[in-house]
Amino acid sequence: MKYLLLLSLLFGTLEHSKNEVPNFRLKNLDERTVSYNQVKGENLTVIDFWATWCKPCVKSIPEFVKMDEEFDDTQVQFIGISIDGPRNKAKVKPFIKSLGVEYPVLRDSDSSVMGRLGVRAVPSLLIINSDNEIIYFHEGYKSGEEVEIKNKILELLEE
Amino acid sequence: MKGFLKILALTFFVLITLWSSAVGQLYGTNTFEFQFGNLPFEEDTDLSTSYNQLNLYYDSGKFSLFGKAEQFLSLHTERNYFQLTQKRFQYQDDNFRIRLGNFYETIGSGLLLRSYDIPGSVFESDFYRTRYAFFRDLEGIAFDASLDWVEIKALRAEPLQNDLPPNFKPDSLRRPDLLEAFQANFFPTENLSLGAAVMRVNTPNSSNYEEFASLMTNIQLPANFQLFGEYAFSTESDLFSFNNDQSYALYSGLNYFKGSFGVSFEYKNYSNFRLESSGFNDPPSLIKEHTYPVLNRSTHVPNTSSEKGVQAEAFYSFEDGHSLVANYAYTLNNVFNKKEYREYFLEGLYKFSDEFSLKSFIDFATDEREGQDNRISLGLISDKSFGNSRNVIIDLQYQTYNEFGSSDKIENYFASLSFGFTSAFNISAVFEATTELGLTDNPSTFPEIETDTRTWLGFYSLYRVNTSNSVALFVGKRRGGPACTSGICYEILDFEGAELRITTRF
Repeated sequence: MKYLLLLSLLFGTLEHSKNEVPNFRLKNLDERTVSYNQVKGENLTVIDFWATWCKPCVKSIPEFVKMDEEFDDTQVQFIGISIDGPRNKAKVKPFIKSLGVEYPVLRDSDSSVMGRLGVRAVPSLLIINSDNEIIYFHEGYKSGEEVEIKNKILELLEE
Repeated sequence: MKGFLKILALTFFVLITLWSSAVGQLYGTNTFEFQFGNLPFEEDTDLSTSYNQLNLYYDSGKFSLFGKAEQFLSLHTERNYFQLTQKRFQYQDDNFRIRLGNFYETIGSGLLLRSYDIPGSVFESDFYRTRYAFFRDLEGIAFDASLDWVEIKALRAEPLQNDLPPNFKPDSLRRPDLLEAFQANFFPTENLSLGAAVMRVNTPNSSNYEEFASLMTNIQLPANFQLFGEYAFSTESDLFSFNNDQSYALYSGLNYFKGSFGVSFEYKNYSNFRLESSGFNDPPSLIKEHTYPVLNRSTHVPNTSSEKGVQAEAFYSFEDGHSLVANYAYTLNNVFNKKEYREYFLEGLYKFSDEFSLKSFIDFATDEREGQDNRISLGLISDKSFGNSRNVIIDLQYQTYNEFGSSDKIENYFASLSFGFTSAFNISAVFEATTELGLTDNPSTFPEIETDTRTWLGFYSLYRVNTSNSVALFVGKRRGGPACTSGICYEILDFEGAELRITTRF
């Protein structure tokens, strides 16, 4: 019966909810704490969850670097969130810089923001509008999917 | 009574939905997993279990509430439970946050304290055979704040001993320690950070507190160099005395990047630094975290009683999409006698076109603690796409080593074939084989010892119904063993049968 209470709560809210990104706080690569509001874009914000040990991320990140160069920062702001723990902390900065990333990179070392945004695997990509609503979610990456992601960004920019 | 609860559930649902729309926002995730089968070699072979995990978040301005409810059901009723395993109240603005309830926090680099969540993971131990979410949280109160020149955090909490399931009694044994910690980091210049932390621990059956402290720094040097380090110690030990009878942990690193090249160097020196009793600290292991199955299982978990070592890793990304990673790690344990761990790893990604790439790795290691000599691991993975929506991945891996004191050669094989039909639908077949005696032998046939190669064959499919819902199905045999995710290593069990997982985000 207790479970029924929770299930009714779950299904009862399905149509009402639109997941908003809270103003989370994470450390950047210089060990300074920054909030989401400080790094998000004016229009669309693209958050890429990744890790140094994630093999598909090595392929997807260069594609996001190309998109970041292509889109104006006022239109699309990319943010990388590494879920590497202290074990891989030393590798995060040289790894991401060697891939040419210039956009802000934050560290979610206990995966709490990952859990809060409903992310279960890396890489996962979220597109967030100016009202902080998650309007697109893409889990995993295989070659060619960057086209689908780019088309989605273009479609959202036109709206 | 049941009718009353149903009415209560309905009333609760109506009130919550109206309330959430009007006052704040309610979000969540739900994971449901059904298993039909069991561990290989164990009865009942047709055991069926279900596990459900619901995470609910309620946000209203700067306030938020969180709850995690877990339920496990099986035919063995003593293993079943339904519990609210996490709950939290939080207030946060741009520079300030206070949390009450269950939360995650790390002091420095984890030498004193590290907590974590592995979202989506479901843990089961061979002893309790109860399934539950895998995390190590803290229960209590935490406060943190940041200004331009200083960041502080303070907490008073009990860390979770996560090898005990939620229905373990008495519940107090799941959180045996009480911690109080304070950390401050100062930023006198843009490129320099200096920090210090103090922590005291009240362990079970003791009225005294053990006290620890830590000093840490992070320096941005010219020409893209970054230097960082942390020295943690028991306040009863002599400061900066690196004798093996003292209790301390030293961790430092230097990294550098230029253009497409990046490199990191790390050093560790841990002595008598496992903080009992729930083991809530987690000094970095300085061993590469591999995701290749044959290497992921061959990991090294630090023995902080006595461990020293180094790790170096270099990356290079070529303009045409190729990349190289080289890693070297060395560790020396000196508990009762000296044991070395040494590993050399090289990985290449070769991008021949937008539609075809190859990846290869070679790894050579010696692990005296695990009794593995001349361990060689190899792998080749090909990834071929057809347009933007279909692809085929072939993954072949092999590992061999000699057991110390034996002329026998152990071999491990891994092969998988995956088809992606769209970004929403994948199927794959995974084959594994081993000659490890600890795995080939069926303990239930003792004293007979089986030595024939043991194999596993499993089929996976994943269908992402939409951006909120996905369904995953596994059928066959799955190999368990040590596994590491996000730097956290734990033991997963073998499984034989069928498993259905439904994930919902709302």
